[in-house]
Amino acid sequence: MDAKTVLAESRRYLLAVAAIVALGVVLLPARGLAPSTTFMLLFVPAVVAVARLTDVRVSAVAAVAAFLTLDFLFVPPYYTFTVSTLAEWVALAVFLGVALTTARQTDRLRQRQEAAVARRRELELLNRASFRAVSEDSPEALAAFVVGQVRDVLDAARAALYTGCGSSPLLLAGDGPPECEPDESDLVTWVLREGKAIGLPPEAVPLDQRPVAVAAAVAVPGSTARGAYLPLQTTEVLEGVLVAVPSHPGAVTPAEARILAALANLSAACLERLRLEDVASHAKAVTEAERLKSTLVASVSHELKTPLAAATARVTGLLQGRTAADEGRVRTQLAAVVQDLGRLDASIRDLLDVSRLESASWEQRLEPFDVREILGTVLAREPADLRDHVRFEAADIVPEVLVDGAQLARALANLIENAFAYTPPDTPITVTLAETPGGEVEIAVEDRGPGVPDTEKPHVFEKFFRGSSAARAPHGSGLGLTIAAEIVRIHGGTMRVEDAKPQGARFVIVLPAAEETQK
Amino acid sequence: MTASDRHVRVLVVDDEPQIREALASVLEDAYDDIDLAASAEEGLETAAEHAPDVVILDLTLPRMSGLEACRRLREWYDGPILILSVHEGEADKIAALDMGADDYITKPFAAGELLARLRALLRRGRNEEPPLAEVRVGGLCVDIPRRTVTLDGQPVRLTPMEFDILAVLARNPGRVVTSRALIQAVWGPDAVEDTRSLRVHVMHLRQKIEPRGDFPRYILTEPGVGFRLAEAEPSTSN
Repeated sequence: MDAKTVLAESRRYLLAVAAIVALGVVLLPARGLAPSTTFMLLFVPAVVAVARLTDVRVSAVAAVAAFLTLDFLFVPPYYTFTVSTLAEWVALAVFLGVALTTARQTDRLRQRQEAAVARRRELELLNRASFRAVSEDSPEALAAFVVGQVRDVLDAARAALYTGCGSSPLLLAGDGPPECEPDESDLVTWVLREGKAIGLPPEAVPLDQRPVAVAAAVAVPGSTARGAYLPLQTTEVLEGVLVAVPSHPGAVTPAEARILAALANLSAACLERLRLEDVASHAKAVTEAERLKSTLVASVSHELKTPLAAATARVTGLLQGRTAADEGRVRTQLAAVVQDLGRLDASIRDLLDVSRLESASWEQRLEPFDVREILGTVLAREPADLRDHVRFEAADIVPEVLVDGAQLARALANLIENAFAYTPPDTPITVTLAETPGGEVEIAVEDRGPGVPDTEKPHVFEKFFRGSSAARAPHGSGLGLTIAAEIVRIHGGTMRVEDAKPQGARFVIVLPAAEETQK
Repeated sequence: MTASDRHVRVLVVDDEPQIREALASVLEDAYDDIDLAASAEEGLETAAEHAPDVVILDLTLPRMSGLEACRRLREWYDGPILILSVHEGEADKIAALDMGADDYITKPFAAGELLARLRALLRRGRNEEPPLAEVRVGGLCVDIPRRTVTLDGQPVRLTPMEFDILAVLARNPGRVVTSRALIQAVWGPDAVEDTRSLRVHVMHLRQKIEPRGDFPRYILTEPGVGFRLAEAEPSTSN
């Protein structure tokens, strides 16, 4: 205890004694009006008041002071500490007994009340903290909350929360000047390594509680740090360290330590929950990626092997023929082989495009284009029987779009080929080009096929999705629409599928106009 | 094969043996001498030795790239060069065309298309300055010496710039002309490469000859590369 504390302590005693003596002086003029026992009764509330305001030691001193004041001023002979009659002696003795007992009772009551208030605050804090602990979704947010609570509720000079990343501590949140705690990071490192608390009062660490408290100087020789360092211990691992530096002189009080311990337990549980959630979601992502990969491998091998097998079968069939096959049959078979190879090429191209789009390695060369230009290019590349099916409707003036022309051509080709695969023979594929009320460019490709059922609409652009009516579509890797949607997406546009008017599917691309994109 | 086909020597440069063999079997029906080279270095050596009439050059070669081979070949060789390329690498295609290659064909390709393109290249190479007096594509007729254009028999009024652009495309029917090549042909070899103003001229040209409101049928955009005039008869199949 330093000189300042001693001074503060003795002031409380002096004040209590002074108050009692002052009461005696105030009552002195009325001394003749009543028997001394009456004045004794008047001093009881005074001692009780002191007991309420201070603690039991001060009130005991006040009781003795009252006893002496009464004896000196109110019990004859006056102004001496002698007592003339036995009755007066008994009265004074009873007064002292009553004053001391009431003082002690009052003090107990006060303590109980204070403890109740403290408990309530503690409970409120823990209630708040546990509510946050389940709702916070990042360790940083949780740490910031806990640190804030320690600073507010305990009025701490500094609070900080570290996680134990390996053995090197990582500060999640800290508040208050770091210079008030010189060896903070060394002490945190020690706690992370040893799993023991630092700077907790011994009475605040129950025997059954795992962290054993040591003084700062034990952990880091020569350290004069005053803060409390609590390991955030769960059943499995050490999640981190909670640091609290009190603003009052000395180490943390037992009451503060209790709150800190509760907060530390809660933080540990919450950090563990977040960590496990992270692990779980990562595991889920890995499983999902694995599932996708196996779907991909299965689908890819199917798409690549089917045309390859067909072509191989036809060619080996021709080679094995004992007699020379007639030229007509050879030509038919070879034409079929060419188709198989075309299908193989399309699948490989789709796969390459998907991987280029996904790895973002398809370098974009953005230029302003009139969609009509791209459409002209796309249709010029398509076989004549497809081209003849296309009906084109466009508004006179449609804004240009800022796109990679080759990519948009690919997206449009995929949509048109998809429409051609589904639309019944001799029905048109309608391509419309318009400006939306919002100034965007809308391209729609419409067929007269079976359409896409509402349940399948959300999945149409997923990789390898095949609709219930896919049977008619003879080729396609199942990636065409995925590629188209991805290309539209990287150009800042959207793509959707809806029902066409009498029947059929209508795929709609909406792209920002070039002036807008260039801004 | 027509009677005008004289002795023609073709050089194929490709590092893939299967492609070389396949090309050889396709080409030997049509041409007299086929040289095969497995690398750019070997190709350059063979070219210097045998002076081929046409070179088929793959772009993806080990060590020296096809692009570099094309550049070195062009230092002394003025016969046609046909580039073989895969789907990716628009930039390589443009670079090769700008570096003096005459045309490109994307792998995989059909034999018919390859032979047709070779015929076109050889035809132009043979006739030195091709007196392509008149080019007809559908209803469009471009008379280059008279600088007149008719669409379905009706005369079309073009500005000199528009006509120059159309004439360059018409001299290479069905072939891609890169934006840079178009700009240099129209504005001169020292012109600054301003694709924006080229696009504006092409747009005006299209407004005069393309069906109104519809997508273009005659002047096609090759996104990222340049433009080409639609082929006169789209009958490259068998």
